[in-house]
Amino acid sequence: MSPRPRPERRIAFAIRLRLALFALAGLCALGGALHVAGRMPAFGAHPLPYGDEINRRGVPERHVTNMVSAVNFDYRGFDTLGEEFMLLCAVTGVTVLLRGTRGEARSAQPGRVEGRPILPRSEATVLLSRVLAPLILMFGLYVALHAMTTPGGGFQGGVIAATGTLLFFAGDGYRGWRRLIRSGAMDACEGSGASLYALCGFASMALGLPFLENVLPLGTPGDLFSGGLMLVENAGVALAVGGGFVVLFIEFLEETRVEPPEEAPGDAPGHATGDAPDGARS
Amino acid sequence: MTMLLIGLLLLLVAGTGTAVALSRRPLRQVMAMSANGVALALLFMALQAPDVAFAEIAVGAAALPLLFLVVLASVRMDRNPQGARNE
Repeated sequence: MSPRPRPERRIAFAIRLRLALFALAGLCALGGALHVAGRMPAFGAHPLPYGDEINRRGVPERHVTNMVSAVNFDYRGFDTLGEEFMLLCAVTGVTVLLRGTRGEARSAQPGRVEGRPILPRSEATVLLSRVLAPLILMFGLYVALHAMTTPGGGFQGGVIAATGTLLFFAGDGYRGWRRLIRSGAMDACEGSGASLYALCGFASMALGLPFLENVLPLGTPGDLFSGGLMLVENAGVALAVGGGFVVLFIEFLEETRVEPPEEAPGDAPGHATGDAPDGARS
Repeated sequence: MTMLLIGLLLLLVAGTGTAVALSRRPLRQVMAMSANGVALALLFMALQAPDVAFAEIAVGAAALPLLFLVVLASVRMDRNPQGARNE
């Protein structure tokens, strides 16, 4: 009976075979790769005309100084609509999947972990996160609002704000974070933001124009409120992305908690106020 | 000067990316991925793409590693409520 060495030898052989196959494939691809690398355009060269054309036309046509926003919300606004609903579908899928296994009712009340020790936070951590979180939220708002004038936009601002709320989690614990950031309100943000974007398109159609064609006054270039309908679309994206990411965080973090015991509603809330630390790191 | 900066940042991205592929412990891999996100954001900034850099630093360096950390914590947990209570 010699069943022991055989699988090991077979595994060693398989690894060697794979390495040999990899080397063979690499040799075959090398010639082609070198050929392509030799004929690539120089670093930083952009032979296609679109970038220059957008830079030339953006300010006179759309009264917007951030060309990325002009492309995202106007020239290619329809693509952004697709991306918005892709995000909505992804967040909805995750929520249905995770909430479905936990039970619908649980999203309202945060769970906790029984066996996990409750470590006290230092006052410096609490103070620092309470000071920094509003600043980061404000920066997210700034980035989202200035989409038409400076780099950034609804997506970036929304993600920055959503990540900033996590500082409340670092400072005030899971329960404090959940008490501040309402799951239902974030669901509403996500859905209403995405539908606001779609409604912008239908507003143009109702006025007899193509989908997402600008219907509002464009304003002066460089002004905070320039860009017309793009501003509304940008607000929709900021709402949808900010709300969507917070919903994702809540649903994922809730997965690190166990279900509160059945008698929890009648339980004294005293022992739950000092919350367990970040589950991911303990 | 700019080319030197971009070259250094490209090396940094390659280094952190290799670290992601080579680290065997999931927790360390998540940290390497976060570092890779920061390096990529710096590279985008040097290549004058601040919009993408914003998105990369928020999603690649903060949000995505957080979700991975949460998944790791969730995987390590005993999902059975009875088992958790006995601990």
